[in-house]
Amino acid sequence: MIELVDVHKYFGHNEVLKGIDLKVKQGEVIVVIGPSGSGKSTMLRCINKLEDVTKGHIYIDGQDITDPKNDINALRQKVGMVFQSFNLFPHLTALQNVTIAPVRVQKVDRRQAEDKGRELLARVGLAGKEDFFPSKLSGGQQQRVAIARALAMEPEVMLFDEVTSALDPELVKEVLDVMKNLALGGMTMVCVTHEMGFGREVGTRAIFMDEGVIMEENIPSELFAHPRNKRTQAFLGKVLAQ
Amino acid sequence: MSFLTSISNWLDSIPVIHQFASPKILASVFPFLLEGAKLTILFAVLGELFGIPLGLLAAVFKLSKLKVLRALSTIYVDFFRGTPLLVQLYIGLFALPIAFPVIQKVPDFTFYGGVAVLAVNSGAYVAEIFRAGIESIHKGQMEAARSLGFSYLKAMWYVIIPQTFRRVLPPLTNEFIALLKDTALLSALAITELAMKARYLSSWKANVSPFMGAALIYLAMTIPLTRLVAYMEKRLAISD
Repeated sequence: MIELVDVHKYFGHNEVLKGIDLKVKQGEVIVVIGPSGSGKSTMLRCINKLEDVTKGHIYIDGQDITDPKNDINALRQKVGMVFQSFNLFPHLTALQNVTIAPVRVQKVDRRQAEDKGRELLARVGLAGKEDFFPSKLSGGQQQRVAIARALAMEPEVMLFDEVTSALDPELVKEVLDVMKNLALGGMTMVCVTHEMGFGREVGTRAIFMDEGVIMEENIPSELFAHPRNKRTQAFLGKVLAQ
Repeated sequence: MSFLTSISNWLDSIPVIHQFASPKILASVFPFLLEGAKLTILFAVLGELFGIPLGLLAAVFKLSKLKVLRALSTIYVDFFRGTPLLVQLYIGLFALPIAFPVIQKVPDFTFYGGVAVLAVNSGAYVAEIFRAGIESIHKGQMEAARSLGFSYLKAMWYVIIPQTFRRVLPPLTNEFIALLKDTALLSALAITELAMKARYLSSWKANVSPFMGAALIYLAMTIPLTRLVAYMEKRLAISD
């Protein structure tokens, strides 16, 4: 479904990704961990071309997104993305945030989009908040609207970029619960996260990244409990000591 | 009658006041000045109305990835912000019609030409206002829109630009105030807007009071607008 082949990314002279190879199959929930600056977020952002890769290829359903001939706007619709800073559209209500892309991009009938939007908001536990503007919602609620907004495009895979990092601790769980349900429903997911508990519970595979390379990968319980790589051990030691 | 009339008569008996702000003359020329003010407002409103989409387009060009569009926008903005409006009016209404006589055949070409020059002039200022407005929107907004499959232009139109409007409203209103005052330059082309009307009336009455009358009318238009800007800026400061 998603395949990264020898992906390199430079910011100026700084090589942030140093040859990433990764295959994500349908239904997988991949948990990406690693210290800050390890390239996890950059990798995620390359997958829907928010960053251009310097070298290498990324395939979505067999189509190379690094090939300028392919319609990136169409490919992006297959890949939903949720950001650390929510990035809800502040001039639109919760429901409008969820319906704007189906209506404007996919040309779905507005009524139909609104019905589906309400359903999605209910699914993330926000029934009754349809007409609220983002500024009137808590961080956890905003992030759940952002998840519903991405789901409205019926993506085949969802990317989560540290989506709970900006949240107050008591709001983290409500967002993770939504993600858990999504995973249980069979959604293919790639989650950059620091939530080890979540990773162990719903992840089908965990990846440890450092210095722009994938250092180690395994099923989450193994990787977290018995890391083989020295760096993984050091990282997990620091995180778990907190 | 009586009290007001006697005050007015008394004021008119003072030479300086009679020459400068004679109540009697002001009262008699006021309806004519208002005629001129109508034209002033018409020019300013039409100029701004066409200037806004033009400026928005120039701003989007300026932020484009395409070098040609950026260059076009830079040339446009530099030219119209870097030369006096009066010179632009001379070029638009004297020079161009001579170079291209077909322009003179357009009915009311002075009027439409005046509106056109005001529009392209204000568009250049509006472009800078919108550019600053668009750049002030967090880049996460564009990323979120793009990640949903919006094209760059659609993201601009549906997501970014609607968010700039609230922020650009105060500077746009300021630009409108400036344009409203600048319409006085149209008098150099014998267009009978407010300032020109005042000149005619002052030579007709052999008295400069009409200029004071014109100034009062300009103030009556601009002061409410500047107050409005102050109010909008205060509200914006609260909500941000």
